[in-house]
Amino acid sequence: MASNNSNNIASPTPTATSSFWKRMPVYAPARVYMKTTDEKKEIDVCKRTSWIASPPALSPGTSYFDQPLSSASSRHGSRPGTPSIQSRRDDAIRKRAGSNNSSNSGIQPPDVPSISRTASATSRQSMDLNASISRLSISRTNSLADSAAQLPVNLTREEKFTKILSSANVDSDELRKLSWNGIPDRHRSMAWQILLGYLPCNASRREQTLERKRKEYNDWATQTFSKGESALDSELWHQISIDVPRTVPVSKLFRHEKIQKSLSRVLYCWAIRHPASGYVQGINDLVTPFYVVFLSPYIGKYADPNTCKPSQLPQPVIDKVEADSFWCLSKLLDRIQDNYTHAQPGIQRQIVKLKDLVERINGKLTKHLESQGIEFIQFAFRWINCLLVREFSLNNTVRMWDTYLAETDGFSEFHIYVCAAFLLKWANTLTNQDFQELIIFLQSPPTSDWTHKDIELILSEAYMYKYLYDSSPQHFTTTQTQ
Amino acid sequence: MNKNIEATFKLLFIGDSGVGKSSILLRFTDNCFLPPEDTGATIGVDFKVKVQRIQDKKYKVTIWDTAGQERFRTLTSSYYRGAQGVMLVYDVTDRSTFTELEKWFDELNTFCADPNIVKMVVGNKIDMAAERQVSKEEGDTYAKNHGALYYECSAKTSLDVDQAIKALVSEIIQRPTLWKKSAPSSSGSSNLFSNSNGNTRVGSNGGGGADGEPFSNCAC
Repeated sequence: MASNNSNNIASPTPTATSSFWKRMPVYAPARVYMKTTDEKKEIDVCKRTSWIASPPALSPGTSYFDQPLSSASSRHGSRPGTPSIQSRRDDAIRKRAGSNNSSNSGIQPPDVPSISRTASATSRQSMDLNASISRLSISRTNSLADSAAQLPVNLTREEKFTKILSSANVDSDELRKLSWNGIPDRHRSMAWQILLGYLPCNASRREQTLERKRKEYNDWATQTFSKGESALDSELWHQISIDVPRTVPVSKLFRHEKIQKSLSRVLYCWAIRHPASGYVQGINDLVTPFYVVFLSPYIGKYADPNTCKPSQLPQPVIDKVEADSFWCLSKLLDRIQDNYTHAQPGIQRQIVKLKDLVERINGKLTKHLESQGIEFIQFAFRWINCLLVREFSLNNTVRMWDTYLAETDGFSEFHIYVCAAFLLKWANTLTNQDFQELIIFLQSPPTSDWTHKDIELILSEAYMYKYLYDSSPQHFTTTQTQ
Repeated sequence: MNKNIEATFKLLFIGDSGVGKSSILLRFTDNCFLPPEDTGATIGVDFKVKVQRIQDKKYKVTIWDTAGQERFRTLTSSYYRGAQGVMLVYDVTDRSTFTELEKWFDELNTFCADPNIVKMVVGNKIDMAAERQVSKEEGDTYAKNHGALYYECSAKTSLDVDQAIKALVSEIIQRPTLWKKSAPSSSGSSNLFSNSNGNTRVGSNGGGGADGEPFSNCAC
């Protein structure tokens, strides 16, 4: 059922730490002094050049640069010569925070100096970073003779996506790297499908694969619903039928009967194929980003579903969008299915992790929450069950998913760092609130005026926390308790 | 405002998905109604609070509104602890939600050990008279058999919503042992969610799940 390309995303490379550096070579310690002739040398020199070219706002810790990229078994939290927290933190910020121009207040780990001083330098740095990534991609892929990867440095983001996506064999690593900072609207549908492993990287196989998958789903859905609603699992169908009309309440698109029927079919078909979890409320929210994005090529602007007139959409288009949404929802849920099985162990586990993480970043906040009788599950349950879709506008969710899909375990692992960043964003407010105010605030944090910039800031913070705390579970705990 | 609060109560809303628990709550706290297409299904548990005046005394009513779907039971079961009142809601236009009340009573009896807890069965959506499937008499009899209060209401038209909750709170006030003692009561709730400070029972004026909130020191 799954295409061969599912491995691109579903299976991270064997060792977490080494794969982390491999996936993000630009963040790995540079090795300018190494005299090698292999491809890595080019990468390092290239990166170093870009660092020199851009006036560094901060001087990275020397230990960082002197330390060779060691064996796969080294864990950056414990190996000797580990960069200082500050240097790693600054590095992470510099690399990712392209839009960090708003306030960072409330997101300060107690043990690290303020990051706000880096903010002004950050946007400049990120531009250099883009150039650096481009150069990096040239040096990495020259040998592959892949025309798409030979991206001239002066291409716009849009052009880079066009280049990559129009190549005969899409370099999914490059695509992922590029997608982290957001995918242009007109490329999103295709990029998502490739990143999810639904659409083959190999262009020659795409049409055939799509045709097969769509037919498979559509035949099956038609057969399932051929005997009318009375032949369906009544309890399941009832639940879906009362939830679909209240999915994304603000969107006119999802109020249209035609679209609601389509969504219901997707959810029902998914649920009966996954009896261990079945349909769980909130999964209806998770189809909507796929649906609007996959519909976008047919209606032009996805960003404003209100301008779309579903009644004018021909049934074949609905069928295609529905099938693609079904398969991509399946791909997504495959990775987080234990969020929805009995007792929802995936959510329980992630809440423990979230609490632990926030405790390490801002112990004062967790102490305050605890003193007020607040438990993480009281507010974070929905954040995880619905992947924060309820907390943000659909448009912002779509932007967030660009990054989630670019991460290896975006929806299961990276999401927890995003939840942490989201909570910590309000730390100053929260520490002055009592139980009741806390619960009410956390139930609906004020995000209605959020733009992509706010989302990107949260994503950058999340990236930084992942960078600092992932793979070093003991390091900071020990430090704090000493 | 807090100084005049006589006590804080914790209420819990339970019942099948789509019967209107969140709508009743919204009507009670904000006096408004949103059609189904303007609301999202409750995921996990929502919380709202309102100060209710009863016989010239003010009571803070904190309400935990739970998700109806079976899959969330593990989560929602942890919210029974410390509650003084539980509202079991069904939809008078959907008999299955009424018959499912049996399951909800089982749930309640499993997770709430205190036999004194005030129970109230509420039939919602009585504005849809033409589609009614459960009569008032049937509902009333059923509630009595389970030692519960009974009300019918319409969150849409606001008919009897406030009255139902007022009646529930008044009954809690009539049972001071529910809230005027500080001895912890046993709780069958899952350890996964148990409150770390161990206050399973509110203090003399404390507010249910709001253990440790400042309001608990306010009375008399």
